[in-house]
Amino acid sequence: MIQHLLDGILVGAVLSLGAAGLTMVMHMLRFANFSHAELLSIGAYSALVFDALFKGISPVLAAQIGLLSMTGALALSMVFSMVITGISAVIFDKLIFRRVREKGEELSMVFASFGLALIIRNAIGLIFGLQTKLYSQDIVFATVLSRDPLVLVKPDQLATLGITLAIILLLHLILSRTIFGYALRAVAENPSLAQVNGINLQRMIVVVWVLGGGLAALAGVFYGLNNQITPVIGRDLVLPIFAATIVGGIGSIYGALLGGFVVGTAANLAVMVLPSGYSPSMPFLIIIAVLLIRPNGLFGEERT
Amino acid sequence: MIGLVSYLVFFAIVASILAIAVLGLNLQWGNTGLFNGGVVAFFGAGAYGTLILGGGPQDGQLGGFGLFYPLALLGGMATAGLLAWGVGILTLRLRHDYLAISTFGIAVAFENLMRNAQWLGGGAQGLRGFDRPLRAALGDGFLYNILFLLCVLVLLVLTYRFLETLVASPFGRQLRAIREDETAARSLGKTPARIRLTAFVTGSVIMGLAGGLYGTFYAFVSPQDILPTLTFQIWAMLIVGGAGNNKGAVLGAFLIWGAWTASGWALSRFAPIEAQLYTGSIQYILIGLVIVGMLLWRPQGLLPERLVVSQLGRTKT
Amino acid sequence: MKRCNRMMVSTLGVAMGLALSAGAAAAQDCTTKIGAVLPTSVDWGRPIAETAQFVVDQVNEAGGVAGCNVEMVLRDSQVDPKVGVDAAKALVDLDGVQVLLGAVSSGVSMPILTSVTVPGNVLQMSCCSSSTAFTKLAEEGKTKGLFFRTFATTGVQAAVGAKVAKDQGYKSVAILYKNDDWGQDLQNLIAKDFEALGITVTSATAINDGQPSYRAEVTSALSGNPDALYLGLYPNEGTAAVREWLSLGGTQNMIMANSLKSDEFRDNVGLQYLGKAFGTDTASPRVASADSFVAAYEAKFGGAPNGPGLANSYDATMIALLAMEAAGKDATGDQIAAQVARVTDPAGTPVTADAAGFAAARDVLAGGGNVMYQGATGNVRFDVNGDVSAPAVVWKFAEESVEEVEYMSLTDVDDFIASLK
Repeated sequence: MIQHLLDGILVGAVLSLGAAGLTMVMHMLRFANFSHAELLSIGAYSALVFDALFKGISPVLAAQIGLLSMTGALALSMVFSMVITGISAVIFDKLIFRRVREKGEELSMVFASFGLALIIRNAIGLIFGLQTKLYSQDIVFATVLSRDPLVLVKPDQLATLGITLAIILLLHLILSRTIFGYALRAVAENPSLAQVNGINLQRMIVVVWVLGGGLAALAGVFYGLNNQITPVIGRDLVLPIFAATIVGGIGSIYGALLGGFVVGTAANLAVMVLPSGYSPSMPFLIIIAVLLIRPNGLFGEERT
Repeated sequence: MIGLVSYLVFFAIVASILAIAVLGLNLQWGNTGLFNGGVVAFFGAGAYGTLILGGGPQDGQLGGFGLFYPLALLGGMATAGLLAWGVGILTLRLRHDYLAISTFGIAVAFENLMRNAQWLGGGAQGLRGFDRPLRAALGDGFLYNILFLLCVLVLLVLTYRFLETLVASPFGRQLRAIREDETAARSLGKTPARIRLTAFVTGSVIMGLAGGLYGTFYAFVSPQDILPTLTFQIWAMLIVGGAGNNKGAVLGAFLIWGAWTASGWALSRFAPIEAQLYTGSIQYILIGLVIVGMLLWRPQGLLPERLVVSQLGRTKT
Repeated sequence: MKRCNRMMVSTLGVAMGLALSAGAAAAQDCTTKIGAVLPTSVDWGRPIAETAQFVVDQVNEAGGVAGCNVEMVLRDSQVDPKVGVDAAKALVDLDGVQVLLGAVSSGVSMPILTSVTVPGNVLQMSCCSSSTAFTKLAEEGKTKGLFFRTFATTGVQAAVGAKVAKDQGYKSVAILYKNDDWGQDLQNLIAKDFEALGITVTSATAINDGQPSYRAEVTSALSGNPDALYLGLYPNEGTAAVREWLSLGGTQNMIMANSLKSDEFRDNVGLQYLGKAFGTDTASPRVASADSFVAAYEAKFGGAPNGPGLANSYDATMIALLAMEAAGKDATGDQIAAQVARVTDPAGTPVTADAAGFAAARDVLAGGGNVMYQGATGNVRFDVNGDVSAPAVVWKFAEESVEEVEYMSLTDVDDFIASLK
């Protein structure tokens, strides 16, 4: 039971990162972006490319960091990957979402995001092939935290959790303590009024996409580190990330964090109750349950 | 030549069945503004319901009622309606993107149920043992397909007429009223919750009809048939054809299904040999481009909703 | 004496060369199409299509079928039944194919069978559809003898897997199975077999496609503390599950179904952890020709033909083309189907699984004789329902590909299955 709870939080950390980016985009741009999870794919694959590059350039970087299976090369690649993914997100917005925003309404953007997701997913499949890839083929063994009840954790997962918490805290501090953060929130609440006060709307939109993309890239790399890298990462993660975002409430960063943990834990606890064949439904049953009690998510607010 | 006609008849059957489902969705979204992300659940309920009620006995699972076909079909529709009623009561009061995710989740749960509950629908093996109606008399060939197409077209036309009448009726006005301004409608004494539920259930029953016909045509249904990809396809048809317009819904169905099948055919015919293994991925990219392109060019769809001015008792063109 | 022999050999060689090239020259005049509906947009589906095309290329090299070049028209099923059925219908109606290879998932093969190939009198040969529903359908006479599959019934896999557990002395086993028709079937059958042998099944956990993490499933399989782990999974989720299992301290005693006989799986898990991992599979014939098949495959693709469904796909395509050759030019699907028995006759002339084998078969068939095709999956022999049973082999991973540990002939397998009842 404790193992399942712990597993849920560790698995949920990746979902939290993805949800944090999605919740910002959804709150700011007011549409359900089903292509957000594909940014995780882009992040994971870009890191793969850079990782191979850096390992080739300097063997020193190929050494693993402590107990983790992450290498110096991968850590460096993560940064580059965040940049690439952020830029990709901005490009997609300029090419597609901005134009649809001008012409159509919310549903059109949702659908455009579906179409975009199909394109990205299959383009990645064409470029990199459909085979499973890994950052490192070594299997890192879990450390035993306690023998009875049996509790095991993998160092990689603890690192993921630690970094996720740090990033979420940082994000929240930025949004609530800095002028820049206020500007972002103002634009999300009321774009016209924010512009009247001198905030550059276009610039803020670009910033949101870069932030969202960067967070997604991080989530993608952690997912690849803890699991494996395939072109269908986006397809597999889009719904759990949505579930996490909605459970937490759209627009709340802490909500996204909690939502990720809730969804991760639900999937793990479900196996104790239902046959594992029903695991894919768990995130949704959780959403429905949460929404029945709190129709705007745990920390969300009534939207104007 | 005969091959082409035979193929077109086959194509038309599937496109018409999907068109019926799109009409059901149009009632829910186009007329009532309900974002149903779980179309495939109601479609699947109709398919499984019809096959369980109308099929032969199965060992170790539910079935063998062997009902007279029209009754089995109605039974499938009723199953879809029942499911919709339950789902509607739970979720219709949610905000529309939350409604979408919740209904989507219901669809995933339904597929999981049919995949795992081997006693209910045969599990991942699917449900077979269903004989298409009148198969013994008419055989399995071209003649049967032509007659099946005629039946499906009749049902499509009937559904279309039914929905057009509904939309022009007082009930239709209520739907538009609560879609446009719920508070105003409530102030006039309408109960939006009940009206929405009625529209939701009616639309789902129509989707169940489509599902039942689908299962009947292939004489088989399995969890592979009720994956979320169908929901996406039905929605794409409605968006491209024109939400809020029944003609648009049917047009969208034929266009999108046509594009889907034609792109596969064209790629296998014209792509170079070296690329043949990749045509699957390329086809998905093409479909994505079509959807995005359509939304950039004409987001309201090819045949947008015709606004009806009921006050004067006639449609304004 | 030596000079005579040498002259004979060289004359024979020239004659054969002429015969082959004459055949090849004639084959360029016309083209016969066959259809293939396979999931090329899925990772394990693409190699299956590649293998089928490889066979077509080999056959064309040997002069084509009934004097015509063979063209395989490939359509993606997208693992979506209505897309697959439409593709099949287009192939039959618009391209006029009389032979259809496909599909891989039973959920797609079945509706193709009921609504396209049986009404259209087209031969359907599936490499990989495992559902027992096809057997039932054939028993009811609804396949009209048009459906064959080169996929050995799951019952054999299950029985041999259980035998491995017994031979290794495992007292308890946990099962991880793919949650599709093949996996569910396998799990049902092997659980019964384990029970019959007195081995406890501590848990049977379904692994769904495309989940972000299998931690929960692996943890629950671990909790029973089994002696060994049985895996009925494909390489993608198999890699994820096994890596998770090993990192959580699970035992290295594993038994794998033939779907995990994949280089990708071996490399991503690591040979060092697979020392006690035994796999089951259908056996290739005990003849040198099997080696030439593997050699030709490696030459073309740069890797051994390991991977789910590859050998089955090869056999399905080759048998279909052999039957087409036997049926002659402009044969219809049912006529071709009737010839399948002629090319898989246990009393016929053995031919190998390559271009030369096809050429040899053509000569035998032209002379009115029967052929026994020694395929990549074994001496393929279809029963009256189009199902295949085959001898079995137990294998382990090795540096280069796999090495065989034990071979069980068809009688051995049948006897063992009988002993389980």
